[in-house]
Amino acid sequence: MAQPQSLAASISPAPDSALIAAWQRGDEQGAAELVRRHARALARFLAGAGAPEADVEDLVQDTFIRAFRAVDRFRGHCQFRTWLLTIGGNVLKDHGRRAARHKVVPLDEGLAARDGDPHERAEAGEAEARLAVGVGELPRLQREVFLLRAQQGLEYDEIAAALDTTEGAARVHYHHAVKRLKERMQ
Amino acid sequence: MNEDAKLHDAARRLGVQAAEQLDVERLAAAVIERLRREPARATRPAWMQPAWLRIAAAVVVLVGGGLVWRQLGSPTGGAAHGAHLVTDDLTDLSADQLRDVLNTLDETLNLGSTTLPDGDLEDLDAQQLQAVLRSLEG
Repeated sequence: MAQPQSLAASISPAPDSALIAAWQRGDEQGAAELVRRHARALARFLAGAGAPEADVEDLVQDTFIRAFRAVDRFRGHCQFRTWLLTIGGNVLKDHGRRAARHKVVPLDEGLAARDGDPHERAEAGEAEARLAVGVGELPRLQREVFLLRAQQGLEYDEIAAALDTTEGAARVHYHHAVKRLKERMQ
Repeated sequence: MNEDAKLHDAARRLGVQAAEQLDVERLAAAVIERLRREPARATRPAWMQPAWLRIAAAVVVLVGGGLVWRQLGSPTGGAAHGAHLVTDDLTDLSADQLRDVLNTLDETLNLGSTTLPDGDLEDLDAQQLQAVLRSLEG
């Protein structure tokens, strides 16, 4: 692919829309910058949605590849990151079909790299482990709405636009998800 | 900490470790490399989507079937109609109508066996000529 003068290199920080346009013109650095910006959020989302930790990096790669291939279909109805996360949800679903397995981060693994009081750490780790199991048991739409809202901090209108639903429906899915997760965590 | 706050706190921590372990620079390079190496699969235009293909196939089958039906039905048009009458309901027919139907059936059955004589038409008698004419009329 031809590499015209890199927009990502010349303007900093460029908005996502400019980087997308750069990639569409063939500027690979536009794509690389988008990966740098959104890879960690995507990894958190995928891991939170039940991706096995060993597979997260591959799933992140697959999601970016699928997104860059389909970027012409991105209509700017939501943020690029939100759109990317929904593609990640599809990639994870396909992966789940193939692998048909789920893995929850083991408690000791989740605690390994944390600072602070050991008791608080253990309590937090336990809550996280229960939540991970609970999130994995949610229907897909509830799971995605919950993660986009609680983990990624998105507003309902943004979630609704990304998932092609209404704001009210997104609220209802979130409400049901929280209700189930609270029951799970008790 | 109340239940809601606990839930949100736990949700924000979900996947943090996996994200921290990510080597973003290496990942970006790997993505670019794959984009270069793996050619984009051509996306099908809308008219080639499976749903449209199925509809088109159904139309072809219907139209094709209709044409075949017409082709098969046309040589015996009147006869076929008469034969159809028989299958519909014989009890509704009068004696004359039943006779007509039987005649039509006779013609239909004879149609396949009627062959043009090898010799000159002038050699045929009146009955033979009638048989040939009837077979030509269908």
